[in-house]
Amino acid sequence: MAELHFACDVSEVTPDAAKIVRVKNLSVGIFKLSDGFHALLNICPHRGAALCEGPICGTTRATDDREFHYDRAGELVRCAWHGWEFEIRTGEFLVEPNIKARTLPVTVEDDKVFVRL
Amino acid sequence: MFIVDCDCHNYWCSATVLEPYLDGLWKDMFVRGERTGPVGAFPHGHRPWFHPEGFGRADVQPQTEDDNYLIMKEKHLDKYNIGIAILTGDEPIESSTLANPHYAAALCRAYNDYQIDYWLPKDERFMGSIVVAPQDPHQAAAEIRRLGAHPRMVQVLVSHGAQRPYGDPFYHPIFEACAEVGLPFAMHLGGQGGVNATPIGAGPTTFFWETHALLPQSAMTHMASLIAQGVFEKWPDLYCVIIECGVAWVPSVLWRLDSNYRALRKETPWLKMLPSEYFRRNIRFSTQPLEQPKNVQHLWAVLEAMDGENTLMFASDYPHWDYDDANALHIPAKWREKVMGLNALEVYKRIPRPLAVAAE
Repeated sequence: MAELHFACDVSEVTPDAAKIVRVKNLSVGIFKLSDGFHALLNICPHRGAALCEGPICGTTRATDDREFHYDRAGELVRCAWHGWEFEIRTGEFLVEPNIKARTLPVTVEDDKVFVRL
Repeated sequence: MFIVDCDCHNYWCSATVLEPYLDGLWKDMFVRGERTGPVGAFPHGHRPWFHPEGFGRADVQPQTEDDNYLIMKEKHLDKYNIGIAILTGDEPIESSTLANPHYAAALCRAYNDYQIDYWLPKDERFMGSIVVAPQDPHQAAAEIRRLGAHPRMVQVLVSHGAQRPYGDPFYHPIFEACAEVGLPFAMHLGGQGGVNATPIGAGPTTFFWETHALLPQSAMTHMASLIAQGVFEKWPDLYCVIIECGVAWVPSVLWRLDSNYRALRKETPWLKMLPSEYFRRNIRFSTQPLEQPKNVQHLWAVLEAMDGENTLMFASDYPHWDYDDANALHIPAKWREKVMGLNALEVYKRIPRPLAVAAE
């Protein structure tokens, strides 16, 4: 049965990096995006590395020409080890979207971030 | 069984057979100019490794120009019941080694005209290759357009020795022309010399056999480059055929490419699929010389990993020293019909279908 667990105070999370917290003995990354807070399990589906400790970034948009359009800045996390790029909101791996990092529902109450796990 | 031989070398005794197909400056250079060898040698920048015995099978010893076909017919085409033999010339792809791209292009034009005049009429089993000199991609494209409508020209052919990896946009005029006339782009082992200075990584090896085993190195570079540079996004129907460059290395390189692409997709945002998926859709390999491990199961596991049933095409390399026998190709029995002929029909659309049906 999923329950709400305290993760961290709102003030502890910046847009530049995930706040790594422990919830029910699991490592979780809390992210602050333009639309609010998001959480990913800090385990990469590729090799189990510390996914959320990698840089928050954007990437080049898919294109039919040979230009480099950088977008989604601040919406992706690159796994700390092998660099796979994941959409923070959905957990989707950009190259093969059927591979997903585990997302956790987030709620904010009284300047405190909670995740459902 | 319908057999397509994707690498059948039509030899000459002397390159002087090209004289009637050259004129002006190029004929003067060809007749009177310096060349790599005596009269009859084809002009090219030679590689620094000499085959200790020469390239030919010792039992193929033509004395006259006509012998070249007659011996091929007896010892190869008829003996193995070859349905279609795709002629790959021999020395003409070495034009890629010349610094002068104009002379190189003239030699290719001369060879292509000679091939059409002399070889194609000799046997209805023959299909031809438009040989081009890649060092000037615009002249190469012009040659592809000049002959691209010929019904028996089934591919564009270059050497795998080149001045830069073939996916480089420098070469894209060649692929554009291939796509326009509807022909595959093929590269055949060769062109290690002259301006093609990097056939072997880490510097030149010493012995011929040692070198020959390593020459697939540059095919790896070309395969990676064609995929990474988006050639198969720009021309999704283009087939690239890699001839005589070995096959057992292919899965390992594809694994590495897929792995790196997954991490660094952002460098090449024009790609829409994994490198291995472009390989599967757009690249084909000829079999000869098929690697010969002690335990054939080791080879077959690797071929399985590259979907060899659908990506391999038989080639004999007649009449070279490392010739593969069509009756004894060591591939899984249930792949034989596809690899020996049917896969080639997918790539070489100008091979007449009735010939294949009649052979069944």
